Amino acid sequence: MAEEPLSGVRVVEVAGALTGYAGRLLADLGASVTRVALSPAAAAATGVPAAPLGPDGPDAAALFFHRGKEEALLDREGLEALAASADVLLESAEGDAERCDAAGLRERNPRLVHAVVSPFGLEGPRARDASTDLVRLAAGGLLWLGGYPDAGPVAPFGAQSTFAGGIYAAVAVLLALLERETTGRGRFLDVSVQEAITQALETSLADVELTGRVRVRAGDVPREAGTGVYPCADGYVSMVAGRLGTAPAWRRLREWLVEVGTPGAEELLGEEWESLAFRQRPEAVARFGELFGAFAAVRSKRELYAEAQARNIPLAPVNTLAEVLADPQLAARRFFRDEGGVTLPLPPFRLTGATVATPA
Amino acid sequence: MRDALSGVRVLDFCWVGAGALVTKLLAEHGADVIKVESRARPDNLRLSPPFRPGAEGLDGSGYFASRNNDKRSLALNMTTERGRALARRLAARCDLVTSNFRPGVMERWGLGYEDVAADNPGVVYLSMPMQGGDGPHRDYVGFGATIAALAGLVHLSGLPDRPPVGTGTHYPDHIPSPGHALVAVLAALRRRRLTGEGCRIEVSQLESAVALLAPALAAAAAGLPEPVRSGNRVPEESPSGVFRCRGDDAWVALAARDDREWRAVAEVLDAPHLAADPRFATHAARKANEDALERELAARCAGRDRHELARALQERGVPAAAVLAADDVLADPHLRARRFWRTLEHPVMGTLTAPAAPFLADGERTGATRPAPLLGEHTREIASTLLGLSEAEIAELEEAQVLW
Repeated sequence: MAEEPLSGVRVVEVAGALTGYAGRLLADLGASVTRVALSPAAAAATGVPAAPLGPDGPDAAALFFHRGKEEALLDREGLEALAASADVLLESAEGDAERCDAAGLRERNPRLVHAVVSPFGLEGPRARDASTDLVRLAAGGLLWLGGYPDAGPVAPFGAQSTFAGGIYAAVAVLLALLERETTGRGRFLDVSVQEAITQALETSLADVELTGRVRVRAGDVPREAGTGVYPCADGYVSMVAGRLGTAPAWRRLREWLVEVGTPGAEELLGEEWESLAFRQRPEAVARFGELFGAFAAVRSKRELYAEAQARNIPLAPVNTLAEVLADPQLAARRFFRDEGGVTLPLPPFRLTGATVATPA
Repeated sequence: MRDALSGVRVLDFCWVGAGALVTKLLAEHGADVIKVESRARPDNLRLSPPFRPGAEGLDGSGYFASRNNDKRSLALNMTTERGRALARRLAARCDLVTSNFRPGVMERWGLGYEDVAADNPGVVYLSMPMQGGDGPHRDYVGFGATIAALAGLVHLSGLPDRPPVGTGTHYPDHIPSPGHALVAVLAALRRRRLTGEGCRIEVSQLESAVALLAPALAAAAAGLPEPVRSGNRVPEESPSGVFRCRGDDAWVALAARDDREWRAVAEVLDAPHLAADPRFATHAARKANEDALERELAARCAGRDRHELARALQERGVPAAAVLAADDVLADPHLRARRFWRTLEHPVMGTLTAPAAPFLADGERTGATRPAPLLGEHTREIASTLLGLSEAEIAELEEAQVLW
């Protein structure tokens, strides 16, 4: 069996709010990660809301973030001594919090890849600002795109900015490690969570630049007939039919509504419904919502999912967490593992030919 | 780090969403990314708005341009056997082959992992199927939005008494899927650089999104009550929300992580009596009275300028920011000071602004340097160099709509 792709790479992760997922990803790929806490309080930090497993139970977030890492409680001198012989040092920073001496470390260890993840980056007028997930999403532009027109922007669930920062920190570290194989030198990486979030703004930057239109949150009403979240008998389904190469799916969807005798659905076979501009009109959105609503009101999300997929229509259930845990596809792929009585997902990448760490 | 991947050649079949952002970042850091598409089957994003007014052709989509800068475009008609044979020749000469098709498409083209590795055993081969390469739903179709729904993210995002809204975007395509794929690919490329060994990488888009809900899923699996949609509220902060400010659809986001920050919020909002109000004196009290708390804050934010208010709160150490729309993000003085935006000149669309990679390496910016290619822009140069075809052969293949 070949070695794990990051076998031999030694990572020191300073326990903090924004580094946990980066360290986790590097550990998943075979790096040996030591998570150093500078205080007992720091040892518990994950940067995401705690998910306690019962009143006195452990925090599932900590179990997830820290899987596969060695833990150490050290003072700063001990930390810097460890970093002096490491390949990678991962730190979080916010405000004026003390950090490792980057210049000194580089002098001692010129091959060190030293990444500091911070809410807004280490330079610039907002560099020292305080943040929470909500504030980072606001500054990165993603918050603006979610929510209801009448009730203001709403953030996605689950501290997504913390994950985004961690993912891009791992990406930056890996690029620097690759480069080091050629140059022999490490890098100091200033990773900004705000900037990571801007990678998720979809067409909204191009909308402004090319058309002058500022995209606004669409809310719970679909932006166009056929695309959006729709109620059904036992919850909601999400559907994309019409654009992005799904014109055939849009046709099959309308034929399906007609085929099962949805009253009034024949109207959807009219030529005007082929036009995106027409489907984006509020009256078209509303009319399609009525017709699809009547059709879906007597069908469960499971039924709609299976039948839509049989017709090659991109439709999926809006799952609860229990439904995610019971999803037949994830179950067939054994994506969730019991690790000491705790159910956690595996890494979402599978490498064959190289081994990837999996829990014993 | 803009040359970190110098010498890495990528044969790229990533179309539309998640995959294109993987090869974009690789291209921005020195990889030679050859994007394969054709007039017979252009990337659907080329047909997707926004377009520069008056440039609504295959080379005028801002959606396409935002995901394909720095790549080369090879117009190769994969519906023809000769096209597929040329692709196989190219695959033998590439370090990385990428795709995000449904399972089976690359195999039908003779470009499955085993096919490519037979000639090119050191290849790193990435596939990003929607729900994975096996399992009962391997052929199911979807987009980022439907993946977010399947993963549980949509259900939990929104207000409790309203339907769920999710992120308002195809979010899994933007961070979870490309992010996890990039991490795996870069690790594999490093290993290849050290040992010459390649590998096959599969990244399920669904699993990439589900992984980011791991803590909540673990708690639900342990039998604890599921979280409910809570808008912008989170358990550990109060207040945590957005409040309308002066102007058209102008909002500030703010949060208090402890009592000190809450008292600072009250003072900045000229409402010291709120800091003394027992309903709001402790985190537990604020949580118990969060509706009333938010009403009080809404009333006091209404006349304020969102940027000035956020700045005043930050000066007191309180997490706050104006809620930036796309035009605000482009104009953000902080991002500008960090030299975050790259300016590209596209021959059809004109000036385009692209975000850099979200990190500085020793102060150096990396990111877009060349605009997205016109369809087939690099066909002739790739055909005459990598494929070693003569002018006459190229002309004949164009005529036969193979290089098309």
